[in-house]
Amino acid sequence: MKITSRLIVLLGFCMAILLILAWPGESQAGPAVPENPPASEMSTDWTQAKTIFSENLHQVLPSKFTAAALPPPEKDPCLHCHITGEEKGLWTPLVRWIMFGGAGLIFAFGIYRSSSVWVTREPWKPILSRTADWFDSRYEISDPLSKFLSKPVPNFARRWWYCLGGITAFLFVVQGLTGIMLAFYYQPTPEQAYTSIQFIETQVNFGSSIRMIHHWSANGMILMCTAHMIRVFIMGAYKKPREFNWVSGVLLMLLTLGFGLTGYLLPWDQRAFWATTVATEIGAAIPVIGDLVLVFARVGWDIAAETLTRFYALHILILPLVTVASMGAHFIMVRRQGIAKPL
Amino acid sequence: MAEIENPTTENSVPFYPVHVSNEAKVVLGISVVAIVIGLIGIFSPVGLGEPADAMNTPAHVKPEWYFLGLYQLLKYISKTAGAVLPILGVLVITFWPFIDRKPDTSSRSYRNRAVGVAIFMVILIAMTIWGEVS
Repeated sequence: MKITSRLIVLLGFCMAILLILAWPGESQAGPAVPENPPASEMSTDWTQAKTIFSENLHQVLPSKFTAAALPPPEKDPCLHCHITGEEKGLWTPLVRWIMFGGAGLIFAFGIYRSSSVWVTREPWKPILSRTADWFDSRYEISDPLSKFLSKPVPNFARRWWYCLGGITAFLFVVQGLTGIMLAFYYQPTPEQAYTSIQFIETQVNFGSSIRMIHHWSANGMILMCTAHMIRVFIMGAYKKPREFNWVSGVLLMLLTLGFGLTGYLLPWDQRAFWATTVATEIGAAIPVIGDLVLVFARVGWDIAAETLTRFYALHILILPLVTVASMGAHFIMVRRQGIAKPL
Repeated sequence: MAEIENPTTENSVPFYPVHVSNEAKVVLGISVVAIVIGLIGIFSPVGLGEPADAMNTPAHVKPEWYFLGLYQLLKYISKTAGAVLPILGVLVITFWPFIDRKPDTSSRSYRNRAVGVAIFMVILIAMTIWGEVS
């Protein structure tokens, strides 16, 4: 019985396909596409390609873009042409393909879904859960994932002041994204740094927005990091068994300040230059190794091109890598030990 | 306090979807703030000063605002002390959990630490403002 019904379905499919194939087609109307030039004349001549393109453009684009002659509106008797938009040349082959093709895809999916339910006698499962099952049967991810996702979060940890660390982490993500965008246009040389930032501010689309977000998000990150640290300190969340969480947090705070120090020089204007000068002079005041610190930070006694490239490398390579690693350790420890219960 | 807590189900919510959706709201809020800041940036950009010139020292040289308090401190104490004190401070802060090892027994320890932080922050903010206006 089951086999018979399946045969009937198959027969129906075959008949439908035959019908579609045998349907009398429309004869090719309109100007024929010019033949490709023979191979001897083939060249990468751009003007020739442009000519061929523009000659065939009206087949895919609405005629208002190809400047085809339209009848004047007052002489046009066709009302339904106005309603369907035919008058404006919107009903192009491309639009027809999209509309009927889309409808056809939906129809094909419906046929597949109905016949699948009919054949398997099981309720239809959405494509997403099907995909998940497909991967889960091969890689067994749902069990550890559900353990990870169903971990209980205590109610005391849902107050707003437990959010500060998460906000810092999200601001770091914002910094990463906007920083990557800025790095596309920034040039870390004394000759080019200033002008490339001017270029970002004035020429690049949304360049000044991205720089503004990067600037204020950096300040916000320092504020949020400090606030998170104060919260943890006051509530005594650093105490046993979470000592190393505090240590990694202090390291992250120092890394954030390092991001601020190295990033501030990059615009290479007077403020950046002299702020970095005095900030590195603080390091030079250390008793025994002061000069060493100064020379290491500035790559020499003065702030020069090498200082800029060193700060740039630190800002976009070294510090992000160390920060991501420390953040990973920080989060894994929080996850493992849970959030400290307040008194 | 000292032990790792295993919260019971009636005092907790599942990480997914309740806590994740809460966090997503926070993320959404921060994103909105960031986008608003970006929109402001279209009309009034961060801007640039004069190009850097090593030969020409401006009248008021200042570091970034988060180093301003330290910089102000350096002006008034000896150079060596001004460099050693912050390093010692950072070391003490880093290893503070190994110094303060007594578990909290009452909310008095919260209050004491809050007072300590408040005094430190007031001094730091005062130094920063002083550095900004001087």
